[in-house]
Amino acid sequence: MTSSLTAPTAEPGSAADGPLLELRGLVKRFGQVLVLDGVSLIVRPGTVHALLGGNGSGKSTTIKILAGVYQADAGELRVRGEPVDLIGLGPEAADRLNLRFVHQDLGLFDDLSIAENFALASGYPTRSGGVDWRRLNARVDSLIAAYGINGTPRSTIQSLRPADRTLVAIARALQDDESGRSIVVLDEPTASLGRRESAQLLETVRRRAAQGQTFIIVSHRLQEVLAVADDFTVYRDGQVAAALVGESPTEDQLVSLMAGRAVTALAPTGSTAHSHSEPLLALEGIMVGPLRDVDLVVHRGEIVGIAGLSGSGRSTVLAVAFGRLSPHRGRMTLDDRPFAPSSVRAAMDAGIALVPEDRAREAAFADLSITENLTIAVPHQSRRAGFIRAGLARRHATDLIERFRIKIAGPDALFASMSGGNQQKTVIARWLQRSPRVLLLDEPTQGVDVMSRSDIYDIIRNSTGTQNAVVVASSDLGELHALCDRIVILADGRVVHDVPTETLSIDALTALVLTSPKNEEGSFA
Amino acid sequence: MTTTAPITTSAPTLPQQSRRGVQALERYALLLITLGVIVFFSVVPPSSAAFPTINNANVVLGSNAVVALVALAALFTLVSGVFDFSVGATAIASFVLSAGLQVAFEMPLWVALVVPLIVSGIIGFLNGLFVVRFKMNPFVTTLGMATLLSGISIWFCDGKTFVLPADSPLIGFGSLRWFGIPAVFVLVVVVAILVWYFFQHTPFGRSLYAIGSNASSARLVGVPVDRNVWATFIISALIAGSAGIVQLGRLGSATAVDGGALLFPALTAVFLGATAITPGFFNVVGTVISAIFVSIVVSGLTLMGASSWATNVFNGVVLLIAVGLSTYLGRRNRVGGR
Repeated sequence: MTSSLTAPTAEPGSAADGPLLELRGLVKRFGQVLVLDGVSLIVRPGTVHALLGGNGSGKSTTIKILAGVYQADAGELRVRGEPVDLIGLGPEAADRLNLRFVHQDLGLFDDLSIAENFALASGYPTRSGGVDWRRLNARVDSLIAAYGINGTPRSTIQSLRPADRTLVAIARALQDDESGRSIVVLDEPTASLGRRESAQLLETVRRRAAQGQTFIIVSHRLQEVLAVADDFTVYRDGQVAAALVGESPTEDQLVSLMAGRAVTALAPTGSTAHSHSEPLLALEGIMVGPLRDVDLVVHRGEIVGIAGLSGSGRSTVLAVAFGRLSPHRGRMTLDDRPFAPSSVRAAMDAGIALVPEDRAREAAFADLSITENLTIAVPHQSRRAGFIRAGLARRHATDLIERFRIKIAGPDALFASMSGGNQQKTVIARWLQRSPRVLLLDEPTQGVDVMSRSDIYDIIRNSTGTQNAVVVASSDLGELHALCDRIVILADGRVVHDVPTETLSIDALTALVLTSPKNEEGSFA
Repeated sequence: MTTTAPITTSAPTLPQQSRRGVQALERYALLLITLGVIVFFSVVPPSSAAFPTINNANVVLGSNAVVALVALAALFTLVSGVFDFSVGATAIASFVLSAGLQVAFEMPLWVALVVPLIVSGIIGFLNGLFVVRFKMNPFVTTLGMATLLSGISIWFCDGKTFVLPADSPLIGFGSLRWFGIPAVFVLVVVVAILVWYFFQHTPFGRSLYAIGSNASSARLVGVPVDRNVWATFIISALIAGSAGIVQLGRLGSATAVDGGALLFPALTAVFLGATAITPGFFNVVGTVISAIFVSIVVSGLTLMGASSWATNVFNGVVLLIAVGLSTYLGRRNRVGGR
């Protein structure tokens, strides 16, 4: 089923002298986990090459190896036919090979002008010691025209529309590439764009490719990829599921290649049959941010998963329930009583807890001890007669450390000294000690090693009793499938599917998410 | 696929016992150095005549009192991760206002105590309004506030020096001694104990350390970050204001002087304090010890006949060392080397 590597028919890439980039037998391990198991990627010059695959399939790891961020364990790389030392490839070497990367967060300076964003990357042109603004603006003006960006050299990035910002990032990555020989890797370039915006961006990509530029696009949005790509490489579980050269597959074909036969390394949900039918938390017609009309009911004793492509508003749902965001329209009920938390504190007092997605920025007190990290959510617990008893707080922390199997030197160790998995267990323990009615988890195992991951799943399952409920938002569909009783899929600001997990294979879930409509005003007719 | 390499928990290379020894040494190093400095000035000739006397101890502890109070004021905002440069100027404003009310306006003493404290509270409220509500940069905002206050203080004094009558009870308090210890120093100890209790044993106080560590995380565990930081500015200004009144009691007269002369020794004390007791963290006990240390050295240097520039040089060097050391200790703790 692998590589139908037909010889490149000389249609899009006129240079018929072999591939521009040739990656073979790439192997990468993280600890004991084999992430890439001999994958290949062959890119013809002047083409748009789509790199597809589910979460954890290895496509991001491959990109990071090409960028020199990760080091490969084995494999061969040829660029323009020249063999390259893949194992020792670093960021500078990647740059010298004319590999250019535009990451999902674009790395632009929002307050500065387009011209300055270009100049900060390539250096300011000078004349007699000062900045030669005229020359800079003239050069940037021609780039703006070449990429069809709506703006002038003096426009600030924040005044631009999202698609134009992405174009600025692409143009900046390519600004010193007069020859057009470089390969541009775009990582999820349309994730934050609406449909019309994506079309504008991809049109420009298409036009540049016709002029001989080579692109690799990593994306989940199959309709878009189908419209723009010449070749497709599909990864699955660290291997190449298919390499399609110059073919026009259908969306269904790609979905079945990406999903494949379910390879669930994760234990399926235990026998605890939840599904009492009493609603605990209900959202009705919620409208805020990307959410346009979300209805969602969470029942007692249930673990509900929220799936959806990035930008679909998974985290926004949790933010509303946790009182971080007030909906413009719609209402919530908790226990059949109106629930409109005005603050995080109010939501906490009502029994809601949130484990946020960005652990380092929104959950960690990195330079405080694990005891302090745990007791911050229960500030009165260790207080007796007006004094905080350090011994009491420490004993309490030690109990939690044992109960949640957190591996750490002791209750006084600093949060920052733990591994990602143990940090995440600590954050979950922080909330579970409050016995929340509804525990909200956003990407609960992001940056967590495999062992801790299964621990965390156990913790979440065991914490779900008959009276409380858990809501998990995740981009990892395998995780949702393994953990949840029911999964809702968000798209276009609404819940478009609401399915019990047992009726659904992981492939079917993947297919549902991938084919869900895209966010944009009026696009969901 | 995102995988973070596990951060290895610090591998203790030293045997447990000697590690504890090193830690204890680190905690109490400042105290030992302070004692060493006392011995040094008591023994080495130029200062040995005047330094180890009850009189000099009184001068040291008395002059230390004002700096220590301003340092405790600065401690509040620094723990919350915010700079407040206006504490020195607030103390001076309260200092001249209290004197002016008594001398120029012939107000009763209680008015001259209450009004400066109310004004200080308003200054703190405004700092909080600008920084918390208007999201203005605390560094520049409080620097602006300090400049504004110093201007107003100079206008208020109009070139005059307000001299309290010799029988003023405030002067009486300023020179009062209990068992040979200046009453103002006892006041500092009482305030320090209250502040220590606040930071160590109230959820509010603990929440300030959490805010200083990571304000977004604090918000997401239900800490009312804005309200607490705002309150911090007000408490800080109130302590600074009382420092100004203590200064008036000690000196007996007031004129508009530079608030920086109070601010920088106070900052030195707070940062130097962060190298002791709980190394890497701002703390009350360390702050008070540091304030005493700085006063002792300044007094000793003066008695040895050092010129006035030597005090500034000493304060500057100590501030730099203190900031460097507490940053280093904090950073080392962050990577888990404790």
